[in-house]
Amino acid sequence: MQWTKQDTKQYLPEKQYVDTVLIPLIPFDPASEQKMIQEAFQRELIQIFTNLIEKEYRGRIFLAPEYHYLTNQHEEEITRVNKWIEHFQQQPFQHIFLFTLDPKWKRYESHLIGHLLWIPGKANGDLQSTETQSFVKEQVKQVNELIQAYW
Amino acid sequence: MSDKKRVSRRQFLNYTLTGVGGFMAAGMLAPMVRFAIDPVLTPQAAGEFHSVAPIDELTNEPQRFEWQVEQVDAWYESKVQKTAWVYRDENDEIVALSPICTHLGCTVDWASNQEYPNQFYCPCHGGRYTKDGVNIPGTPPTAPLPVYKTKVKENMLYLGETQSRQGA
Repeated sequence: MQWTKQDTKQYLPEKQYVDTVLIPLIPFDPASEQKMIQEAFQRELIQIFTNLIEKEYRGRIFLAPEYHYLTNQHEEEITRVNKWIEHFQQQPFQHIFLFTLDPKWKRYESHLIGHLLWIPGKANGDLQSTETQSFVKEQVKQVNELIQAYW
Repeated sequence: MSDKKRVSRRQFLNYTLTGVGGFMAAGMLAPMVRFAIDPVLTPQAAGEFHSVAPIDELTNEPQRFEWQVEQVDAWYESKVQKTAWVYRDENDEIVALSPICTHLGCTVDWASNQEYPNQFYCPCHGGRYTKDGVNIPGTPPTAPLPVYKTKVKENMLYLGETQSRQGA
């Protein structure tokens, strides 16, 4: 389910079945010109990823609004991420996944309350190409298996 | 030569003006009428069939096929991926089931759970369906998987819209 009127309306009465939340963590830095293209690409990629996962398991996974943060500000962000997670836990959601392509989160993993899912993304490429499509589909399949292992 | 058959100047001008005026009026009205009835003439998207697979690829075992459909929302047009589980039943008829679980909309898989090798299984809450898509009582889903309308043309399988069925 997604953060839309229709889905949230469906979620509330069926709460007992939807116990997993997926929060995409997306870095961006509008001050850095060299990184802009890459970061925008990664944002699109992660949106495709998370939408595919949500589509496959929409009866059990709630896709949270995207968590955006300024690139390389992980330490300052930890409290805010954890605050998001705490609020989701009040629903109650049991399984909280933080989905990211940014490997720097790994260093702070122990401070985060949710499960960190880091996926090796692509630095650059063409989202429309069949090569990227099969790459993403294959990875989504494996991430889905990983998520199932937590249930 | 009789004068009666002669067309008077007044009559001639009248005829010409009516003729030219009629043409101009028709020129203006025709596009307007065409615009007015246009919604009636557009083909209905709901009844559309899409080619999915050549029929010689189908087996008795359900296989997953994917295809893309243009979908128009209120705000934008997008390509949506559709999926179906397709197989031939004992009577050699083609069955195409929607993979969307009737419980909360997860995607079901054929024989993905080792305990139930001949059933559709939903990984989210353990919903199960028999091969013909009927839900198994005691599992969360309350209705069978919807079936696609099928059509075969020149050895290609075409699928249309889905039809929901009543629960078991």
